[in-house]
Amino acid sequence: MPGSRFWIVLKEELGRLAEILIAVLVGFVIAGILMWLGGYDPIAAYIAMFEFSFSDPYYLATTLSFAAPIMLTAITFAVGVRAGLFNIGAEGQLYMGALGAVIVASWALPGPLYLPLAIIVGSLMGAVWGLAAGLLKVYREVNEVVSTIMLNWIAFWVVEYARVYIYPNPIDASKTISMPPAGRLPILIKGTELSASLIVSLVFVGIAFYLLWYMVLGYEIRATGLNPSAARYGGINPKKAMLWAFIIGGIASGLAGVCEIAGRPPSYAITTGLSNLMGLGFDGITVSLLGANHPFGIIPAAIFIGALYSGARGMQIVTGVPLEMVKAVQGIIIIALAVPGIIRLIRSKIRRGGVKVV
Amino acid sequence: MGKVIRGLSSSAYIGIIIIVAIVVGIAAYYAGSMSAPKTVSTTTITQTTTITQTKTITKTVAATPTTTTTTTQTTTPTKTTSPSPTPTVTVPPNAPKKLAVVYDIGGRGDLSFNDMAYLGASKASKDFGLELVEVQSKTEADYLPNLRSLARSGHYTLIVAVGFLMTDAVKQVADEYPNQLFAIIDGYIPDKPNVLSVLFKEHEGSALVGALAGMVAHHYNCSAVGVVLGMEIPVLYKFEAGYYWGIRYGEQVYKQHTGENIKPLNILWTYTGAFNDPAKGKTATEAQLAQGACIVYNVAGATGLGIFEAVEEAAKAKGRDMGPPFAIGVDSDQDWIKPGFILASMEKRVDVGVYKAVERALLYYAGKIKKFGGVMELGLKEGGVAISKIQDLETFLTIAEQAGKKINKTQIIEKIKKMRSEIPQWIWQEVDKLADTLKTNPDVEVMGLKFSQIEKMIPLDANEIKQIRQQLGVPTG
Repeated sequence: MPGSRFWIVLKEELGRLAEILIAVLVGFVIAGILMWLGGYDPIAAYIAMFEFSFSDPYYLATTLSFAAPIMLTAITFAVGVRAGLFNIGAEGQLYMGALGAVIVASWALPGPLYLPLAIIVGSLMGAVWGLAAGLLKVYREVNEVVSTIMLNWIAFWVVEYARVYIYPNPIDASKTISMPPAGRLPILIKGTELSASLIVSLVFVGIAFYLLWYMVLGYEIRATGLNPSAARYGGINPKKAMLWAFIIGGIASGLAGVCEIAGRPPSYAITTGLSNLMGLGFDGITVSLLGANHPFGIIPAAIFIGALYSGARGMQIVTGVPLEMVKAVQGIIIIALAVPGIIRLIRSKIRRGGVKVV
Repeated sequence: MGKVIRGLSSSAYIGIIIIVAIVVGIAAYYAGSMSAPKTVSTTTITQTTTITQTKTITKTVAATPTTTTTTTQTTTPTKTTSPSPTPTVTVPPNAPKKLAVVYDIGGRGDLSFNDMAYLGASKASKDFGLELVEVQSKTEADYLPNLRSLARSGHYTLIVAVGFLMTDAVKQVADEYPNQLFAIIDGYIPDKPNVLSVLFKEHEGSALVGALAGMVAHHYNCSAVGVVLGMEIPVLYKFEAGYYWGIRYGEQVYKQHTGENIKPLNILWTYTGAFNDPAKGKTATEAQLAQGACIVYNVAGATGLGIFEAVEEAAKAKGRDMGPPFAIGVDSDQDWIKPGFILASMEKRVDVGVYKAVERALLYYAGKIKKFGGVMELGLKEGGVAISKIQDLETFLTIAEQAGKKINKTQIIEKIKKMRSEIPQWIWQEVDKLADTLKTNPDVEVMGLKFSQIEKMIPLDANEIKQIRQQLGVPTG
C-alpha cells in the first residue's frame, strides 16, 4: 500500500522537522538569555538579525552570497557521511581550490579561458587534497578525522606560503594577485555581493543529488555507508566507493574555493591569513548536519546559516551587540541545531559497530 | 507517485518542508507589511520628504549669508570641557546624526591601532553629539556588506574604515554611494570627492626616535642600533628612512654637545616577514643584540612583542631591571608594556586622524569647505605622529584597563619616570628641539641628505630606500 507508506514517511519527517524547530527555538532562547545577561535587548537584536538577512533584496542577496560557498562545502561532508565517512577536510580542500584559481589567475591567457581553467584546476586541486585523505583511509586505515584535520593545516600553510612568496600582489602585499575581470563570475544583482557562484553551487548540489540517487556510483557510495560488509557481499567495492566519496567531496570544496576567488568582490584574491576563506569549510559541516546530509536539505540549511551571518551585521549596527557576542550567539544556535544530527550520526555508528562485533 | 516518493530519500522531505517553511515565512513577512501598509509606508514617505525639505532649506541658507551657522559656532566651545582640541564645529542641520566606524579583521582589543581609532571616534561622537555605531568584520568578505549596509541607510555623516585592508571595498562603495562621505585610515584613495584618505608621516616620528636612539646609544657606549620590521611593504620604508636619518642626526648632535670624537654607529635592520609572529621578532632582536645593538626599534606590530621580551631578557641577564638594552615602541604609547625597557614610542595618533576626519565631514556639511575628499597627511605639526611623553601614559593605560588588563598604574609610571631620568636631560631636550625644527624647517641636512629630500621621494620604492640606506651608511642588504 503506497498510501500507508507515504504516511509513515511523512510522520517520520514531520517528527524530524519538529526536532529541528525545537533545536532552533532552544538555540535562540539560550543565546537570547546570553545577550540579555550582557545587557543587550535580545528581541531587538533578533528583529535586526531578520531585517538584515531577508527584509529587502540587498540583504537577501547578501544572505544568498554567504550561503553559496557553504552549500558546496556541505556537499563534501554529506557525500562523506553517505559513504560512512566523517570527512572534515572541506576547509583544506577549499584553500587548495582557491589556490588553484589564483594559479590560473597568474597565467597570461585569453580572457574567456580563465574561468573554465580556474574551475578545472581548482576542483582538481581540491580533489587531490581529498584523495590524499582517501588513500590514507583506504590503504593505511588512517582515521579520516585525524588525517583531514592535519591536511587542513598543511593546506593552510601551503596556501599562506604561496600567498606571501609565490603569488603576492605587487601593489598590495596583503593579498595575492586578483582574478582578472574576464575570469570573474558575473554579479547577479548590481550593487550586491551576489555573484553567479550561487548558480554554480545550486547546479553542483543538483549534480550531487543525481549522482547519489540516480547513478550506480551513488548507489555504491550509499550502500557502503549503510553497511560496508553487506555492500561487499553485494558485489560492491567499498574502497572504490569511499575513494570516490573523497574525490567528489574534494571537487565540491575546491569549487567553493574557486567561487570565492572568482565570485567574491571586491578583492577577487586570497587575502592575508586566508581571512576570506577561513571557516567556510567548517560551516559546511554545520549546514550538512542541519540539512540531514541530503542535497535538498543542504540548500535551505545553507540559506539559514547565510542569514545568520548576514543578520549578524544588523545585530551590530542596530543594537550595538559587539561581534564577539554575535559570534557566541551564532555558535549557540549552531550547536543547538547540530545536536540532533550528531546524536543520530553517533547512534548509527554505534549501531553499525554492534553489527560488526556480532 | 509512490515510486517517486521512494526514489527520493526519506530525508529529502525535510529539505522540501524547510524550503516551504522559509518561503511561507518570507511571504508572510511581506504580506504582513503589505496588508498593513499605512504605517510602514507613511513613515518612509515622511522620512524622504524631510530629507528633501532639509535639502531645499540648505539651498536657501546657502543663498543668504551664513549667519546662522556662525552664531551656533560661537556658542559651542564654552559648553564643552574636553581637554585638547576643543570642537570648532557643530553638526549642521542637514547632516545625518550618526557616525560609523568599521574595523577590519584585526578588530578591537589590540591596545593600539584599532583601539585608538575607537578612542578618536568616541571622543568625536561626544564632542559633536553624534551617535557612534561600531561594526567589526569577521572575515574579509564582510567589508563590502558592512560598508554597503551603512551607506545605503543614509544615516551616517561619515563612515570611517579603519585599516588599509579595506581600501578596495571603500573604493567600490564610494562609487556606488556618491553622496555618502567616507574616510579610510592608512589607505590611499586620492581621487574620489567623497573619500578622505588619512595618512600619517611616520618618517617624521621615526626621525625623532632615531635621534633619541643615536644619542642614547653613544651615551651608553654602544656600537650599534637596530630596527626589526614586519613585512617588506612600502609603508615601512618610511619608518626606515626616517629612523636612519634620525640616528645620524642624533650622532651629529651628540658630537657637538659632548665634543667627543665618536665612531659612527652600525645600523642593523631585519625584515621578519610577519606582523603577528612574536617568536620571529625575538630571534631577530637576539641576533641584533649579539651584534652590539643596545636599542631596537619595533616596526612590526605584534611581532614587536618578541622584541620587548628579548630586550628585557638581555637586560635581566646582566642583572639589570632596566635598560640598556632598550626597545622603542610603535603606533600606540607602548612604554608601559615592559616598563623600564622601552625607551619611548613612536606614536601614530590614529585617534587624532579619526577625529579630524569627522571634523572635516561636519565642516563640509556646513558648507565651510567645498571639497571633502583627498589626502589628509598628519605629521608632527598636526599631532598625527609624536614621540611618547610621560603625560600620554595615563590615556593609554586607561585603554589597557578597559581592555581588561590588570595593571598597576602608579608603579608603571614611576618606573618609566625613573628610566627617563637616567638619561641626560639634554638628550630629551634635543629630541624636542628636532621636533620643532622638522615642523618649521625640514631642510635640515645630515650626511648630505636633507630631511625634505626623503619627504619628496615618498612613496618610497625598493630602489629609493636602498639609495637612502647607502647615503646614510647603512648596509644596503
